[in-house]
Amino acid sequence: MSDGLATEHQADAMQVVMIGLGEEKFALDAGLVREIIDPVPVTKVAGARSFVPSVINVRGNVIPLADLRIRFGMPQLEDSADTRIVVIEIELDNEPVLVGVTADKVYEVTEISQTDVQQTPRVGMHWKPEFIRFIAKWREQFVIVPNMERILN
Amino acid sequence: MSAMDPTEIFRQEASELFEVLEGALLDLGQRPDDRELVDSAFRALHTIKGSGAMFGFDKVASFTHEFETAFDRVRKGEIRPTQELISVALAAKDYIRALIENPQSTDDIIGEAILDDLKRFVSSDQPAVAVVEIAEAPPLAPGGSKQAGWHLFLEFESHILRNGSNPLDLLEDLCKLGPCFVVPITDGVPFLDEMEPEDCYLKWDVKLHAACDKAAIDDVFMFVSDEMKLTLSPLEHVEAPVPAPLLQLLDEEPALAAEMPAPTVEAPVVEQLVAKAEHGPQAQPEVKVEAKTEPKIEPKAEAKRDDRGIATVRVQAERLDELMDRVGELVIAQARLTQLASAGSDLSIKMIAEEIERLASSLRDTTMGARMVPIGSLFGRFRRLVHDLSRDLSKPVEFVTSGEDTELDKTMIECLADPLVHLIRNAIDHGIEDTATRSANGKSEQGRIELAAVHSGAQVLVTVKDNGGGLNTARIRAKAEEQGLIAPGAALSDHEIHQFLFHPGFSTAQTISALSGRGVGMDVVKRTIENMRGSIDLSTRPGQGTTVTLRLPLTLAIIEGLLIRVGEGRYIIPLSAVEECIELTAEDERSRGRNFLNVRGNLVPFLRLRELMSSSGTPDQHQKTIIISTGETHVGLVADQIIGNHQTVIKSLSKLHSDVTIFSGATILGDGTAALILDVAQLIALAQSKVEKQHISEAA
Repeated sequence: MSDGLATEHQADAMQVVMIGLGEEKFALDAGLVREIIDPVPVTKVAGARSFVPSVINVRGNVIPLADLRIRFGMPQLEDSADTRIVVIEIELDNEPVLVGVTADKVYEVTEISQTDVQQTPRVGMHWKPEFIRFIAKWREQFVIVPNMERILN
Repeated sequence: MSAMDPTEIFRQEASELFEVLEGALLDLGQRPDDRELVDSAFRALHTIKGSGAMFGFDKVASFTHEFETAFDRVRKGEIRPTQELISVALAAKDYIRALIENPQSTDDIIGEAILDDLKRFVSSDQPAVAVVEIAEAPPLAPGGSKQAGWHLFLEFESHILRNGSNPLDLLEDLCKLGPCFVVPITDGVPFLDEMEPEDCYLKWDVKLHAACDKAAIDDVFMFVSDEMKLTLSPLEHVEAPVPAPLLQLLDEEPALAAEMPAPTVEAPVVEQLVAKAEHGPQAQPEVKVEAKTEPKIEPKAEAKRDDRGIATVRVQAERLDELMDRVGELVIAQARLTQLASAGSDLSIKMIAEEIERLASSLRDTTMGARMVPIGSLFGRFRRLVHDLSRDLSKPVEFVTSGEDTELDKTMIECLADPLVHLIRNAIDHGIEDTATRSANGKSEQGRIELAAVHSGAQVLVTVKDNGGGLNTARIRAKAEEQGLIAPGAALSDHEIHQFLFHPGFSTAQTISALSGRGVGMDVVKRTIENMRGSIDLSTRPGQGTTVTLRLPLTLAIIEGLLIRVGEGRYIIPLSAVEECIELTAEDERSRGRNFLNVRGNLVPFLRLRELMSSSGTPDQHQKTIIISTGETHVGLVADQIIGNHQTVIKSLSKLHSDVTIFSGATILGDGTAALILDVAQLIALAQSKVEKQHISEAA
């Protein structure tokens, strides 16, 4: 699904996992999400890029843990009872890679219909437009559908 | 899983057979009188022909047939396998391989040319006969007109029936070749209560009265040749038909039947006998005598026996990898269990944990063992390389291998192929001098390349040794100065100078040829070896040769590690790289700016892991230093605590961390957290670059 198609296929709905980072809400394409786990001990990787500062053990696999809050220049909150790790699978250089993403809260799995899809506004955004696939509406709020491949590359 | 393409199976099989064939041919060049080698080459050829025909590779079959026919004369000892003949035979082998792997790229003309060559060599002593023989596969069995047939002695493996093969069908096929006189030998039949109903206890003594080709008989037994002993000897003349003992046998039928393992097996035999008796004036009198005479065991049968000594199963490599992964996970889970059990006070849980620990470690060893392949399979490939290079460069080279039995992880063997090709090419192209130079220096004209593998602790050492001229240190130095890698006149040991050979793009060769210049690609060799967590050493003696030593870990999947703590983080250092652990003295501690340790009089640079890992908190009072090394370079790593040995299951880091160089991978500790494995080679390089910077700043 490319960004341009979003307005053309009006009837299509998209399954997403709604997550919260700080005050913002993001909708992750449910097709990417492999599992959602409670926070686990992390291992810092010295010298790694700031938005993938550590690795975690998920079922015997050592996978990188990404912090989108750092990528988006948002303040980092302390882990709370709501903090979760969303494990997603993305393609990097044509190879599937599992990545954990820290979420301050995971709301629900829901559908956003493409009629709710809004074009990315050119102004008033404090993050880079290439990180955003599009912006949709959910419960009268704007939510960002991030482009995970871009963000993590 | 989808069914495997039968053609693919044939290709795989064929490629293994080619290895056997090539090995045998090359050996034959050295030991032309070794019958075993001729037979093994012939057997490989024959199997290629047989299965080629079966899978529809008709060209392969027909070409191989011609090849086989020509080679048959070698087998019969009529001609000696000369070097020239071996070269042609190798070319023929390559042609068959091309026919199988890439039929479009070959041309019949090439095949014909090779066959012509072959014919020329094999017919050199008896041209007329040979040409006839090759032109049309000899319909007459060797031995000429006197030959009236074959005397066969058949002995099948006892489990043959379970594999679905029916000896009786084979006997029937045999009967189609010509009139047969078949006598079952019942010596091996046990008493009824000891009898396994599914086993085959019968042997057969067959007299085939047909002047057919031996190949025709072999074809009958093609599919079971591994599971039987076939002894063939020509029948000298037709014997007088006296069927008396046969009738006697038939009279005994009821008794015989009782002895038979399964009536279904037995009945048709007797039918056959009856049929033969009715047809047959061919039967001969001395059946019993013949049957009892000790059958002459041909080398073929013997060799088959040896192969069978160790039963093997073909398993897809991915399945082994998967198994290894599972075992890795088991080892991790077991470590957690052990930790949990030792924290509690329940004795029975502790016992179980210990039991599981023992089982897991033996399972790990077995699984790793299953992935181990003798390095000989790799060495075999280089013999051809040496053969061809030595011919192309006109440098006679003796190629000696040792330690073929040394086992290494399968993946490692695959990774080793390219580096070794490089090293061997270098050794022949640049190491070994030309004949004139060698004799001028009082050396034997024939150069010598030794390829050896040997176990050394948890490592395998693979050495490539030549007895050539050795490295030209002055020339390497000049080149390094020219490329601006060192300042002219800098004081460097020979060893340090030789390290420039591993510098990317460093070559002392003046021209780029098909063969590598010494140094071209040596950086690639080094990188490949280091990626396998191995190291490479060079030693050379002017005028006497060069030895390249590769030190490799036994496996890529699990290593012995030293678990250390730095601040809050725990890290693994591959134990194979650890030389010793010492305490950082107050004196060393004070020399903050210098970062050198005095280890028994040697200055060793050290890295503070706390700085490298940007650890928070205060360092432990007594800092420990772990001295690591690759080859002759030593570097100290300063850590807070040395925790101890750790069986480390290696997990690779994802692409997102590919920019991190100081870690070579990660593992999972007993408590389930991930720990990173330090990349020894990178840390040593880092320490050395710091030392160099220090030198520069001190000099300034």
